[in-house]
Amino acid sequence: MRRQPNPRTGARERWPFTDLAGDQRHVPHAPVNRPKRLAIVATVYRHLSHAQHFCDRFLVGYPYEGRWNMPNTQVVSMYVDQRPAGDQSHDRAREFGFDVYPTVAETLRCGGDKLAVDGILLIGEHGDYPTNELGQILYPRYELFKECVEVFEADGRSVPIYNDKHLSYSFAKAQEMVADGERLGFPLLAGSSLPVTYRLPDLELPYGCQIEEAVMLGVGGSDAMDYHALEAMQCMIERRAGSETGVAAVQMLEGDDVWRAAEEGRWSARLVEAALSRSDSPQGLSKEDGRTQDLLGSGELRRLVEKPAAYLIEFRDGLRATLLMINGAIGDYNFAAKLRGVDDPVSCQFFLTPVPNVTYSACFVAKIDEMFQTGVAPFPAQRTMIVNGILESCLQSRQQGSKRLETPHLEVGYTAPEASHYGRA
Amino acid sequence: MSQTRRLRIAAVLTEYRKYSHGQHIVDRFLEGYGWNGRHHRPPMDIVSLYVDQHPEGDLTDERGLRFPQMQVMPTIADALTLGGNDLAVDGVLLVGEHGKYHRNEKGQHQYPRYEMFKQITSVYRTTGKTAPVFNDKHLSWNWDWAREMVDISRELDFPFMAGSSLPVTWRTPSLEMPTGSQIEEAMCVCYGGVDSYDFHGLETAQCMVERRAGGEAGVRWVETYKGERFWQAHHERLWSRELFEACLCRSHTLSQARPGFNDAFPTIDDMMKLVETPIAYHYEHVDGLRTTMIMMNGLVQDFNFAAQLADDQQLSTQMYLPMPPKNTSLANFFTPQVANVEQMFLSGEATYPIERTLMTTGLTAAAVDSLFEEEKRIETPHLEEVTYAAPTQSTYWRT
Repeated sequence: MRRQPNPRTGARERWPFTDLAGDQRHVPHAPVNRPKRLAIVATVYRHLSHAQHFCDRFLVGYPYEGRWNMPNTQVVSMYVDQRPAGDQSHDRAREFGFDVYPTVAETLRCGGDKLAVDGILLIGEHGDYPTNELGQILYPRYELFKECVEVFEADGRSVPIYNDKHLSYSFAKAQEMVADGERLGFPLLAGSSLPVTYRLPDLELPYGCQIEEAVMLGVGGSDAMDYHALEAMQCMIERRAGSETGVAAVQMLEGDDVWRAAEEGRWSARLVEAALSRSDSPQGLSKEDGRTQDLLGSGELRRLVEKPAAYLIEFRDGLRATLLMINGAIGDYNFAAKLRGVDDPVSCQFFLTPVPNVTYSACFVAKIDEMFQTGVAPFPAQRTMIVNGILESCLQSRQQGSKRLETPHLEVGYTAPEASHYGRA
Repeated sequence: MSQTRRLRIAAVLTEYRKYSHGQHIVDRFLEGYGWNGRHHRPPMDIVSLYVDQHPEGDLTDERGLRFPQMQVMPTIADALTLGGNDLAVDGVLLVGEHGKYHRNEKGQHQYPRYEMFKQITSVYRTTGKTAPVFNDKHLSWNWDWAREMVDISRELDFPFMAGSSLPVTWRTPSLEMPTGSQIEEAMCVCYGGVDSYDFHGLETAQCMVERRAGGEAGVRWVETYKGERFWQAHHERLWSRELFEACLCRSHTLSQARPGFNDAFPTIDDMMKLVETPIAYHYEHVDGLRTTMIMMNGLVQDFNFAAQLADDQQLSTQMYLPMPPKNTSLANFFTPQVANVEQMFLSGEATYPIERTLMTTGLTAAAVDSLFEEEKRIETPHLEEVTYAAPTQSTYWRT
C-alpha cells in the first residue's frame, strides 16, 4: 500500500483519517459559527496536570457521545503561574498558534488593551503551593479569578469562566467569586468531574425526591479527594424536594470515633453496605486471592482502614449526609441514599475512568464547551461553593478536636437543574 | 426441582487460582457479591467441586476448608453424584478456562470443555436425571463438538447457558439495542488474541445485533484481515470508518502515539505505529448485515461497540470490564454473569439463548480457520442454520 507521509503541519491538520493517500478529509461535525476565543489561566501546564487534561481537549478535541468532538473554540492565549520541569506551555503555544503572556491581564487582552477573549479556562490545580494549618493546599484560584474580574471591570465586559475543582480553599473567597459572577453577569462553571462522569449503574435520583439519609464513600488525601467525594454526593442530594437550602452544622470525626458514630446511628450501616456493594476494588483479601468480600459484615472494613474519617453533615432541612473516607478498604467512589417510600437504598459508583485518558474529563469539557457556546452554565456554581464551605468547616472541626460546628454562613440555597448532565448518552 | 430446600450446585473447573475464571465464578457463589445494593448471598450451595489441574497458587484446598459444605471430588461423576449412584445436584457450573492444555497448530487452546460436558451428560444419561448447565466462554474450540453439546442439551432437555461476560456487564453509557432495530452495519473494536478475547469481541457484537428486526438469521461467511491486508481493507472502507471512529470514541483507553498527550485521537499513522498486528473478523449474516470485530492490540484495552441503524442513527457504547489488577481488585464483570446463572438455576430457564454462544463459537472457529488459511473467506453453511430470536428483556448490568 502506497502511503503518503504525514505532513504534521500543525494541530488543525491532524484530524482522524487525513493522511492516507486518496482519502477524503474526514472532518466530523465541522464548526459553523466563528470559534469562541479562549484564554487559559493555569497554575502549571505539564503532562497529566489538570490543565493539560482539560485544555488539551480544546486543542485536539475529545470523545463525546460516540464521536470525536472538536469544540468550536480557539485557544488564543495562555498564562501559567509556574513552569516546573516538563512544562508544556510553550510547546502547546508553538504547535497550536497562540501566545503565552506574562500576566493574567495581558492573557485576557491578548497583549492588547481590551478584553480579547470569549471565555476563560481557569485551572488552578497542581503546582508548588504552600499548605495552611487545615491541610489545604493554597492554590491561587481566587487570586487568578480576581485578576480576571479586574479586567472585566476595567474593560466593561465579562466572559464565561470555567474554574476547575473547588472555587477556593476558603468559603469566603468562593462566595466572593460566585458573587462576582452574579454582579457582573458572567456564567461561572466549576467543580469536580465526578458529578459528570459515568455512573455504575446509571443512577439519577428522581427530581424532587425525599431523601432520608445519604452516604458517600471516598478514598485519597485531603483536601483533594475528600472534595471530589463531597461534590459527588452533593450533585445527587441537591435534587431533593425543596431544593438545596444549606447546611446547619458539620462535624468531622477520625479514628474509632468514626465506628462509634455508626453504633450511635449517626451514619447508616445499611447505606454503607449498599455503597460498598458498588465497589470494584475492595482491598485486603480481594487483592490477596481475588475473592469477593462483604467488607462491612465480615468486619474487614474496620480492620483495613487505619485512619477512617467521617464528615457528618446536617443540612438545614434535616437531611443527614456523611462522607466516609476509608483509605485502605477500597479504591473507588461510591454513593448510597435512602429515599422516602423506597424500601431499598439506591446506590452507584462514580466511575473514574482509567489514567491516562481520564475520559471523565471529556464529560466535563462537553459541559464547559456548552457554557462557552450558549452563555449559560449547565449547573450552578453554588453546588461547588457549598461543597467548599462544607469541606472547610469539616477541616476546622477536625482542627478543633472534632467539635460539632454550627454553620450559619452555609445557608446557601440554590435549585439544581432537572436535566441530567453526566455520561449517559 | 423443589424450591423449599436450597439448591445444590456442582462446580467443574479446569483450575482454581487467583483471577482464573473458576475462581471468579465459584467465589461469587461461596462468598456472595455486590448486587442491587447489597452483599448478595446466592440462595444455593456449591456442594461439590472438581478441579482438573492444581498449579502453584491453587485455591482448591483453602476454599474447601473454609466452605466445608463444598466437597472436593476426584472425578466429575463424583462431583455430580456426591459419590453415590444418583444425580445429587440441581445445577452444574462448567468453567473450562485457564490451565495448561494443548494448543494446536491453529493456535487454539484445547480446553476440555466438550470432554467435561460429555462426562456431565454421561451422568445424566446413566441416572436418567438432568440439571441445568452453565458453560463459561465458548462451547468448544471445535465446531462439531460445540454443535453436539447443544444437541445433547436438547435431546436430554436441560437448560443450557454459556458465553462471555461481555453481553451482561456494565455499558458506558448504559444503552440497549432496541428490539427490532434495522441494523445496517455493526462493529466491535477491542483487543486480545486469537481463540481468546476474539470470542469476547464476537459476543459483544452478537448480543447487540441479535436484537435486530427478524432476529439472528445466521452467518453466510467469515473472512479475516490481518496486518497490511487489514490496513488495505480499512483504507478501502470495507467496513465503516464512522463506526470504527465511534468505537474508538467509546474507549476509555485509547493509546497515545504522541508523548505529552493523554487523549488525542490517533491518525492512521499513529495507529500503524501503535498496532503491530491489527486483526479483523468480517462476516456477513444471511439477511445481508455485515459485522466486523476488530482487535487493535496496542490501541485500546476495552470492548467497544457501534452500529449504523436505519434513518442515519448510530448507536455506540462500551461493554465495560472492571479489569484487575490494574484498575480494580475484582473482575466484577463476572457478577452479572453469575446473577444470570443463578437465575437459570432457580427458574430452570436460561436467561439468554445458547444459540448466541453457538454462533460465536462457530464464528471464532471459522475465523481461526480463515487466519490459518491465509485469511481466505470461509463459507459457513453450518452457521446459516444458527437462527434464533433474542430475548426482549435486557440481561446486561443496569441495576
